[in-house]
Amino acid sequence: MLRASLRSCRALAYKPSAASPGHQWHTTQEILGGSANLRGYANNTKANASDLKPAVPRGSAIQTSPQRPPPSTSGPTPATPSSTSPISPGSVPPTPPPTSSSSPPPPSPKPKKRRIRRFITTLLLLTTLGFGGGIYYSSINDNFHDFFTEYVPFGEDAVLYFEEREFRKRFPSIGNRSTRPRDTGDRVKIPSQSGVSWRVAEDTRHANATKPGGPKPTETLQTPSKSPEAKSLDQVQAAETVKDTTPVPSTGKPNSPAKSVEIQQAPNPGHPVLEEAPAPKSPEPVSFAPPEVDQPSIFPPEVTRIDPLNIKDANEPLAQDLVKILNDIIAVVNADGSNAKFSSTIGKAKNELSKVGVKIQALKAEAQKDAEAKIMSEKEDFDRAARELIRRVEVEMAQQQSQWQEEYQNERQKIQQAYEEKLEAEIDRANQVNEQRLRNELLEQAVEMKQKFIAEVKDHVEEERNSRLGKLTDLSKTVNDLEKLATDWNSVIDANLKTQHLHVAVEAVRANLEKSQMPRPFTRELAALKEIASDDAVVNAAIASINPTAYQRGIPSSAQLIDRFRRVAQEVRKASLLPEDAGVASHASSYLLSKVLFKKKGLATGDDVESILTRAETYLEEGYLDGAAREMNGLKGWAKTISRDWLGDVRKVLEVQQALDVIATEARLESLRVE
Amino acid sequence: MPETTIPPPPVVARPSKPVSESLLNEKWDRCLSSLLIRSSLGLSFGVVFSVLLFKRRAWPALVGLGFGAGRAYEECNSSFLRTNKEGVRIQRP
Repeated sequence: MLRASLRSCRALAYKPSAASPGHQWHTTQEILGGSANLRGYANNTKANASDLKPAVPRGSAIQTSPQRPPPSTSGPTPATPSSTSPISPGSVPPTPPPTSSSSPPPPSPKPKKRRIRRFITTLLLLTTLGFGGGIYYSSINDNFHDFFTEYVPFGEDAVLYFEEREFRKRFPSIGNRSTRPRDTGDRVKIPSQSGVSWRVAEDTRHANATKPGGPKPTETLQTPSKSPEAKSLDQVQAAETVKDTTPVPSTGKPNSPAKSVEIQQAPNPGHPVLEEAPAPKSPEPVSFAPPEVDQPSIFPPEVTRIDPLNIKDANEPLAQDLVKILNDIIAVVNADGSNAKFSSTIGKAKNELSKVGVKIQALKAEAQKDAEAKIMSEKEDFDRAARELIRRVEVEMAQQQSQWQEEYQNERQKIQQAYEEKLEAEIDRANQVNEQRLRNELLEQAVEMKQKFIAEVKDHVEEERNSRLGKLTDLSKTVNDLEKLATDWNSVIDANLKTQHLHVAVEAVRANLEKSQMPRPFTRELAALKEIASDDAVVNAAIASINPTAYQRGIPSSAQLIDRFRRVAQEVRKASLLPEDAGVASHASSYLLSKVLFKKKGLATGDDVESILTRAETYLEEGYLDGAAREMNGLKGWAKTISRDWLGDVRKVLEVQQALDVIATEARLESLRVE
Repeated sequence: MPETTIPPPPVVARPSKPVSESLLNEKWDRCLSSLLIRSSLGLSFGVVFSVLLFKRRAWPALVGLGFGAGRAYEECNSSFLRTNKEGVRIQRP
């Protein structure tokens, strides 16, 4: 692809140089038309330059280009004759290279032969080397191992063989056990006696007797090998024998001996000693070929054997011991195979033994009878003794009972007496306590009565005394009242005095005010007045209402006030005709014109300044200060400012007069109240 | 001016604050004195000017007098107007 893109680029680059400038339009069209054309150009140019490569489609060119090296090792390309190919010359049928190489012309036979031989040898060497290398590498690399074993002929065998060898070298102990490679494909031969077959049940019984010596039952059984399976088998068998032998005596069933014998014999093949014995001493000439596994089962020819002893009363231990001994012997004989020799003697012994058994039975029966008789007599004896014992015990019990009853009665009487005594004592004590209590109560009552009596007496005495005392207190009360009256009278007198003092003080102040030609301060008089009426609220309030300047500087008398009023009135008249905002001219005109005004007399009516002034003057002349002050207060403008000082004076005088009036009335009220 | 010569009450000596009834009179006094002084000043200035500059003409002296009198009048007027107003108080040295 890269190359293709390069080529197309080159084509684009070449184009302008190749084509004349006049054909530019055409070339652009060609460019737009497609790249196939362009490539054609490029190829053409190249072809012109060098005729080495034909125009081939791109993809195919890449794949088939001979210069290309094969793409690394990706897949097993069969076409390429790789040097590592494990193809042996023998296995591979006619390989093409030799044929092709062998085909060269035969003009020179000698060098050709030599060349062929050399070629073959090199080929052989190469192949063997390659094979060896492949095996070695397959042991290292798993992937290669898979590949090698799958595709190369005999590769698998060779690899396996080498692996096996290595394995055995590494673990020699395990290697011994399995000598052969596991799956070599050889046929596994199982011996006819080994494994499971239908004969297993019989084999235990018959194998010992019948087999002469040829086929041993199994390797494991024959050799006391140390393999664990065999050992375990031995142990199991031993355990079985022990188990089987023990229950024999206890079981009383008739067929048990036979069974036991059979069981005893059955495990025999497991036992090495017993097993060894019968193997060589089987005298039977009968050649019994054991049937093959696939053949039908055949019973081996029966051997005449001495039956083991069978006795009815097997539960007799003595007999049983004897029977066992005999059975052992029989077993030995049987095993020996010399039945014929001993059969008669053993038969005799058997008879004897049965006889002995019968005898023992008889003896046993006799002994049983004796024992029963004895037991009966013993039982009777015991019964008698028991009866006697019971009788004696009953008598004794009766005696004891009577004795106990007597004792019980005695004890009871004693206890009763004791209780009675105790009860009496208790009652006595209770009575005594009761009496004592009653006495105490009486005493208490007496004491109470006495106290009551005393209280009554006391009450009487108190009453009498109280009556006398009450009279005395009445007397003292009257005396007190008298005293009070006296003191009241004293207070009345005091109050009178006080009021008199007040009156005097007020009169003094008033006199001071009236008398003085010049305004004089009357602070001392006021202080005295205040002292006299120390706690009189009204007097205090009245004094407080007076302007302090009034009593500090004094107040003018009425004559002075009138005099001053005349002067003020003159000035006021001068300013009587002034307008609101008066300048110099209006002042001058008012001053001049006021001279020519007519004067009024008496209580003139009107709001003008002249009439107000005349009214105030008349009031003043009548001594009615208050009215004059009111009239003057009604002035406005310059007139008021001019008369301001006089008004202040008048107010002060009025205040003082009012205060003095209040005090005087208060004093009068006090004197009235006292009365 | 007979009113101005009226002596104040001898006993009540209150030099700081004049009595209310003599307020107007005091004002008149001041006005007249100031008129006299200013008019005389103006007259003197006018005389000097007339002598020095105007060949002893009469009118410069009259103008000067007028100036002085006018100024005095103005002052007096303002004083009367001011005092009348409530709430305003002027303290003079």
